[in-house]
Amino acid sequence: MSDKEQYTDVLVIGAGIAGIEASLMLSTSDRKVHLIEKTSYTGGTVIKFEEVFSNMECSTCMVSPIQQELLQDKNINLLILTEIEEVKGSFGNFTAKIRKKASYVDLQNCIGCNECFEPCPVSLKNEFEEGLSERKAIYVPCAGALPNAPMIDTEHCLRFKGKDCRACQEACMFEAIDFNQKDEKLELKVGAIIVATGFNTFDPKQSPEYGYGKIDDVYTAFEFERLYASNGPTDGKILLKNGEIPKSAAIIHCVGRDKKGYCSSVCCMYSLKFNHYLKSKIPEIKISEFYTDLCIPGKSHQKFYEKMKETGTDMIRAGEIEVTKQGKGMAVKYNNGNGKKSILPVDMVILSPAIEPNDDASKLAKILDISLDEYGFFKEENQDVSSVITSNSGVFIAGCIQGPKNIQDSVSQASAAVGKILSLSR
Amino acid sequence: MAEKFEPRIVGFLCNWCSYAGADLAGSSKLKVPSSLIPIRVMCSSRVDPVIVETAFLRGADGVIVAGCHPGDCHYDEGNYYARRRFAVLKKVVETLGLESDRLRLSWISASEGQRFADVINEFNEKIKKMGPNPIRKKTSL
Amino acid sequence: MEKKIGVYICECGPNIAEKIDIDKVIDAVSSLDDVNVVDRYKLLCSVDGKKFLEEQIKKQGLTHLVVAACSPKQHEQTFMEVCENAGINPYLFQLANIREQCAWITEDKDEATKKAIILVKAAIRRVRYHVSLEKKEIDSNPDVLVIGGGIAGIEASLQLASSDRKIYLVEKTSSLGGLITNYEKTFPSMRSSSEIIKQKIQDVDKNENIKVFTDSEVEESLGFFGNFQVKVKKTTEENEIVEFNVGAIVLATGSTLFDPDEIPRYGYGKIDNVITAFEFEKMNLSGVILLKNNKPPKSVAIIHCVGRNEKGYCSEICCMYSLKFVRYLKDKLPDVKVTNFYSDLCIPGKSDQKFYEETKGKNVDFIRATDLEITKQGDKINIKYKNETNENSLPIDMVILSPAVEPTSDAFKLAELTSISLGDGGFFSEEHEKLGPVSTSTDGVYIVGCAQGPKNISETVVQAGAATGKILSSLIPGRKIEPEIKTSQISESFCIGCKNCISVCSYGAITFDETRKIAVVNEVICRGCGNCVAACPSGAANIKHFTFNQIYQELMEAVK
Repeated sequence: MSDKEQYTDVLVIGAGIAGIEASLMLSTSDRKVHLIEKTSYTGGTVIKFEEVFSNMECSTCMVSPIQQELLQDKNINLLILTEIEEVKGSFGNFTAKIRKKASYVDLQNCIGCNECFEPCPVSLKNEFEEGLSERKAIYVPCAGALPNAPMIDTEHCLRFKGKDCRACQEACMFEAIDFNQKDEKLELKVGAIIVATGFNTFDPKQSPEYGYGKIDDVYTAFEFERLYASNGPTDGKILLKNGEIPKSAAIIHCVGRDKKGYCSSVCCMYSLKFNHYLKSKIPEIKISEFYTDLCIPGKSHQKFYEKMKETGTDMIRAGEIEVTKQGKGMAVKYNNGNGKKSILPVDMVILSPAIEPNDDASKLAKILDISLDEYGFFKEENQDVSSVITSNSGVFIAGCIQGPKNIQDSVSQASAAVGKILSLSR
Repeated sequence: MAEKFEPRIVGFLCNWCSYAGADLAGSSKLKVPSSLIPIRVMCSSRVDPVIVETAFLRGADGVIVAGCHPGDCHYDEGNYYARRRFAVLKKVVETLGLESDRLRLSWISASEGQRFADVINEFNEKIKKMGPNPIRKKTSL
Repeated sequence: MEKKIGVYICECGPNIAEKIDIDKVIDAVSSLDDVNVVDRYKLLCSVDGKKFLEEQIKKQGLTHLVVAACSPKQHEQTFMEVCENAGINPYLFQLANIREQCAWITEDKDEATKKAIILVKAAIRRVRYHVSLEKKEIDSNPDVLVIGGGIAGIEASLQLASSDRKIYLVEKTSSLGGLITNYEKTFPSMRSSSEIIKQKIQDVDKNENIKVFTDSEVEESLGFFGNFQVKVKKTTEENEIVEFNVGAIVLATGSTLFDPDEIPRYGYGKIDNVITAFEFEKMNLSGVILLKNNKPPKSVAIIHCVGRNEKGYCSEICCMYSLKFVRYLKDKLPDVKVTNFYSDLCIPGKSDQKFYEETKGKNVDFIRATDLEITKQGDKINIKYKNETNENSLPIDMVILSPAVEPTSDAFKLAELTSISLGDGGFFSEEHEKLGPVSTSTDGVYIVGCAQGPKNISETVVQAGAATGKILSSLIPGRKIEPEIKTSQISESFCIGCKNCISVCSYGAITFDETRKIAVVNEVICRGCGNCVAACPSGAANIKHFTFNQIYQELMEAVK
């Protein structure tokens, strides 16, 4: 490191589980943390799940104490609706330019009563709920989102499209709605950066043989997670599009694996978790899991599989899967290995898609001057040493942005990134 | 002519799960009977049998102890102990001359606002049907 | 001391003001004993609201504060800080939740008001019995004991060591390096293992802040986070015992391989040229791959999942190292025919599938099979197996068994030594499967690498880094440790020495004082759950801030 001034603050990009863990650990060691998050809520993807394997514990219960800790932590400057625009400098001396988007809600005045939602005349599909329910132009993505910070979606809000609508402002008793708010540009001086921006999933529309988007009741894993969630669009009721309870379901593993070229390591486990989800709400449902190789490494995972097998689910090793309409419902056509073609009628299909890098991974990589690997994930500097280190010595990576992994491994990487920062910059 | 019976239910809610679930029921503006008076404890394992017995002896029509789902306890195994104590407590409640169903143990997570509302509503109806705590006026301590 | 309780009811805008008749509540509680002042305010959590409260406390000379507003999970911390700033102990405060669990759950204003009155009265009754609680601080020792000198232990030591933090690295064999020193290469990069590990061992040797003990084992470890007293014994000289203090302990004791002797159908130990993965690594490292008759094999079978059913879990690395073995074989014996027998191909890393695709090729077969049996056929080996539903057999020169990864034989002893438990598979149990993978139920004791569960080198190094992060952020030289404040306390006069509390404590925070024959709480370890309180038959145990009496007071109001 040079004779330039050494900054001790740390910038953490992404307030999902990895970003939250890293921030809390850094705060414990008395470092100031600027935690920037692109959306209006913390918790990332994990809070979309009702339960997580292998103990099937309640995901929000697991995360909400640390979210609360985060919100009350004096060392952590949480900036929601914020993205990074430019980074200059090197380890110990970075200048990061960030842009904080206006939410048009004054969070000092807002008490989270949500009275402003109802009067809003604009309704559109809620992205958090995977489009399965609607939200208004002023909204919070889900009940219990932390921080409880409503925001105005300027792309759809009538006022921001030129109309003189003040419905939300008129409904607010606390003068918390401020249309004059502006985006802010801020400059942060930090010594190190941790990137933990998470992942996307493969869009099954790219593999038309699965019928996604064409056949009713073919759901992606994320959509199914929201259906099952007790704070989701159906209060946790699993129903078909026609309102009936499904009598049978097929869960299809490895969707998109052939196109991506790698195994996403968590899908077999969460597909088995889905079996539990279905059986707990619909005990008599008949489930078939279609897989190629069962990937369940780990000391506790096979136990989870054995327990699930006891529920009478069919494990079908198959290839050349095709989901087609059949009569009023649908069927799964498949080749079960010894060349035999079979067909299984089902009421509901759940697709378990590959994990892919976030949409903005390449943009971020340029800004941070780190490289991407051949799959578009952030590249670790050296495969044989710590996978949190990148080619830019002051930038560390954690979680699925580096490659598909489960929650435990994301948290370990977050802690390891903090470990590196603390040990290298004493 | 009998007055309309408004039950008095005491709820011992654990800080990490069920108390948060009860808060969520409120934030979601669900209807929960006001007959429930919540008392916050750090863990369902804190709820000792004596306090439950005292609650009944002093006139509670119903007592509900709510904690985290098995496996989710913030303190590892606290709720398992709560479950064991509860099994014994049910019998003790009977020796006091009360229906054992006046005591309820529920696992409610922080995200189960609707479930909290459902459980309390159902419990409230049950207690209404059972009528007032018969030993409420008899015992003086 | 005269109590002066101030009661403030927050309107929370329309949220409480419109749902509850606040004036009625004020009337109901104004004349209660010890209540000095009752007032209402628009929004107490706002900057103005907090200033108002602080001024009120000082002006009215209040000794206790009750706020009726939202949930304690929202603003208990906020108002505790107000108390501190105003000069009263933050624990002489109670927050009555009249919003989430009162105003918001009914449309009936009368009902809500009645309930609010009960809740505020309950808070007042309780707060009368609140006691000032002070933060505790204890000195801590920043040094660290690392048990195990393999890659995990070495990584952790190198990252942790500094001029103000000494590392004691204890290794039971005579040299550092662990299992990796036996491998020619590691997957998926296929870089030389010795390159990786030799450099690291040199770095450890040069580092004056790392003291290495080889041929040594930890005999004893007493104490708690920030203050462990450790005894290390050299196993070659009986009497040499070294003692030192550390603040944290890292268990990096690695793993071993399942012994295929336990499964006779693999023929291990009975049929020549049936060897384990470990034996093959060593043979490969020597540079030549030979059968017992000193001729190179023309065909090799690699059998995955040996012992998987017996152990009950997938060991994650065996498919990948089996592929690595294919490459070893092809490097040294280009014409050899290799057949992999597997059940499910487990290749979860992002580079793993590519590694597999590039390993497949001429004379490399993959057969999904079950019911394998290895038998002798003359001086050759024959593998019988089931493929789909057909029975088949394959004559082969050499068989390499890829066995499951299991904990080391001293795992149990080490767990006892450090008061942690063994979990699934007999590996050390982590505190929380997802949020605490390297922590344990004993504060200050961390588990990393294969000692925690089967994993590859990259994941092992990350976990070593994770434990480093945990230690560097929480065990800071010169900084005191602040343990939980609302801990259990056991009254000496009421304790009958039944030890019920000790048996229910998940954290081992209670010990038995043999002299006084009573249970004693270690307030540094206690997490304040209250399990011991409920287990105590004589009412000797209580949790600070959640005493029987404090809860009783709330209860009395609740049942009136």
